[in-house]
Amino acid sequence: MEISYGMIAIIAVAVLALWFLLRTYNGLVRMRNNVRTAWSDIDVQLTRRHDLVPNLVESVKGYMTHERETLEAVTRARSEAIASGGNIVDRAGAEMALTGAVGNLFAAAERYPDLKASKSFLLLQEQITSTENRVAFARQHYNDKVRQLNTAIAEFPQNLIAGTLGFKPAEMFAAGADDRAAVGVKV
Amino acid sequence: MLTSPRMGSPEAASAKGFGPRNPEIFFAAQKCNRRATWRMSVLSVFAAFVMGIPLTLVLTPVLYALALIGAEIYNYFSPLPPEFWQNASDLAHFGLRIADYVLNQKGTVAPEDLATGLALILLPGMVLAFLLWMGMLMMFRHGGVGGALTSLRAREPNQGDLKELQLGDVLQEMSIAAGVQTPRLMLIDSRGANAAVIGSSAADARIVLSRRLLDDLTRDQLQAVLGHLIGAMGNGDLRIAFTVTSVFETCGLLVNVINAPFTKQSRARLWRMVRYLFTPASSDQKAILACEIAESLSSSLESESDDIDSKFPSRQKGPFQKLLSILFFPLIFTNLGMELTLWMFTNILLGPCMALLWRARRYLADASSVELTRSPDSMAEALQRLSEDTNAVEGGEWASHLFLVDPKGDRSLRGSAPSPQQTELAFKAWIGTASMVPASPDGAVMAESTSAYDMPRLWAEIKATAIRAATGDPVALARMQAFANAMGGEKSFDLHALPNPADILAAQRGDMAALARIERIQHTPTRSAPRRGQSGLQMASMASFHPPLKRRVKRLQRMGAHLVTAKGYGWGMRIFMTVLWLIIGPLRAAAGVLMLLVLGLLIMLNLVFLTVWLSVIHWAFAQDWVANYNGFVSFVNSLIRAFSKR
Repeated sequence: MEISYGMIAIIAVAVLALWFLLRTYNGLVRMRNNVRTAWSDIDVQLTRRHDLVPNLVESVKGYMTHERETLEAVTRARSEAIASGGNIVDRAGAEMALTGAVGNLFAAAERYPDLKASKSFLLLQEQITSTENRVAFARQHYNDKVRQLNTAIAEFPQNLIAGTLGFKPAEMFAAGADDRAAVGVKV
Repeated sequence: MLTSPRMGSPEAASAKGFGPRNPEIFFAAQKCNRRATWRMSVLSVFAAFVMGIPLTLVLTPVLYALALIGAEIYNYFSPLPPEFWQNASDLAHFGLRIADYVLNQKGTVAPEDLATGLALILLPGMVLAFLLWMGMLMMFRHGGVGGALTSLRAREPNQGDLKELQLGDVLQEMSIAAGVQTPRLMLIDSRGANAAVIGSSAADARIVLSRRLLDDLTRDQLQAVLGHLIGAMGNGDLRIAFTVTSVFETCGLLVNVINAPFTKQSRARLWRMVRYLFTPASSDQKAILACEIAESLSSSLESESDDIDSKFPSRQKGPFQKLLSILFFPLIFTNLGMELTLWMFTNILLGPCMALLWRARRYLADASSVELTRSPDSMAEALQRLSEDTNAVEGGEWASHLFLVDPKGDRSLRGSAPSPQQTELAFKAWIGTASMVPASPDGAVMAESTSAYDMPRLWAEIKATAIRAATGDPVALARMQAFANAMGGEKSFDLHALPNPADILAAQRGDMAALARIERIQHTPTRSAPRRGQSGLQMASMASFHPPLKRRVKRLQRMGAHLVTAKGYGWGMRIFMTVLWLIIGPLRAAAGVLMLLVLGLLIMLNLVFLTVWLSVIHWAFAQDWVANYNGFVSFVNSLIRAFSKR
């Protein structure tokens, strides 16, 4: 009788351990997939922005004859952003630079009333504004998911097995703590 | 229309400090509200069970009666085995023994027998109610959205309108922030300013927004509103709403089934439901039908409890209906007991529980919105702006719980009403400007009625002058400007809900939105007129499904919003309210106990009548009617013979 009780206890502990293992593993996999999806969402939005910027430069060129440097800065920032590859930190820096350059362009556009009255410019401005917001929100979403994953990996029971299962903490997009203010759209 | 000063102005966005003081605080708020949801769900399930007990006490005897009638009819054509009748008789005796023990404390009953008796009484009704509920869930699962959109007269956004384009962009931004699929967007051209997310699941969810919100809110505030709706959708509010509604619809269906022998309306409703189930129709038509049926079912919970008289046989009825009434007479008590039970428990138990559950969901969605936008100020400001207007959306009465703010309107966020001194100031300023602008005909009329402060008239005149000024009357404009100077700043205009001078100037430049704002302005004190916009759900429980806006703003303040709400009641008022509650509370409890007594009495009567009814049925079927008839005929014949002999 004693032996069978011991067996039951051992089996129960084993089942519990297995259950805990499965749960942790599945949870971590889900979080890692969330991070990956969020990252690809950012990618989509960044590409959208890269595609929009030439249109913007093209449409304002005719009006903003005295703003050569501003326009060139935008074009340069865009090619740099496209060129910056896989490293998240580099990429974040290049995208920030592009945001700043586009912001300067819109600030300069304030001085051209004809430009501001044109409907196509307004539409373009709305598209760029929205894209900037989308980038910011996608980044925020990504960072939230990264934070979730990193916390889960570092917390007590999981941290014992997360390393052996091959889960590494992910990197945040941009270092700033305040996500939104850093990319405040100043168009 | 393209250059709107109120929307998409990024200056406003960058000027404000973003982010709550502690970024983790909205996660904490969400966690807390999720827990509240769990507590309330458990409480609601418990309430449903408690409500089910008296309901089944009423329902089960009817089921037994129906079963007996069925068995008797079947027996008439092909006799049932004697064991069946033996079992039925045993069951009846068993029931009587239990009843005797419970009511008269006579005899002895084993505890397991008592449990069996309880199960016999409670289970059939509970199973029936549960099955009906499942049927409701199945029936309305694919439907609702199309019908709802039709009844709201929602339309697709116009791609040529920059603002509506912008709204679509904001919606996509918020979906990206939440990491969900972008739901479809529909607009309503209605007087009320409100927004809702409707649908039965995230897959077919639609965001419905009144067009007026685009004129009233800034881009940040729109983000907050859409963040609330998308957050609600992501948190699974649609499924909860669907379940809550289906519970009330099941109650409505039960009332209709029990009422069917007595009222035409109930029969019509049931007939419509049967037709809906068995007629093939396109999915759009079905959706519209489903929406109408659902509405009529939940509305039947409220209206009919007061026309009890109509169920008693009246003199106008034909002989057939009279017979029917007598036949169904015992059902009247079932009927009454059931309606009373439903009415009472939906009002004091199930309704408030579900309302509280739904309120927790609203707080949760607010916190989700803050998580998405990181801007508690935008949410608070959006709520404040929405509270300043009428919120009722035509055709949206059935779904008022789905809207962002209570369509009945919520005055809890309103700043303190203008004091008598301020009102006097406004009067003096208005009459003062009348002398400055002698050409205006309004001043002369007003000057006569100075002594009695005729507020609505004053506001009507100011509004009329403002509209004239906005449409280009220089005299009216001069007067409005002089009035603004005399009043001293825009702040007092907001306080009095007067047309804003800035809006007048904007309207003169052709801003239709500003003109619309002026036209909408009404004098505050006349606004207390009841507004439409209550749903069947809201009527079914005394508690509102929407938390007061003030409390929502207070929670947003905890997350870092800066909006200042008006001070609550003073100490004197609070003490008075406490004393009032201390008096009213026991009274209400006493009323509840009385109601329970009446209910118990009704259930007793119901049982007694049904016993009699069952015996009559059994006796009637047991008689050999042919022999009886023959006997009666021979009796009459013998009488005739006896008389003719004399």
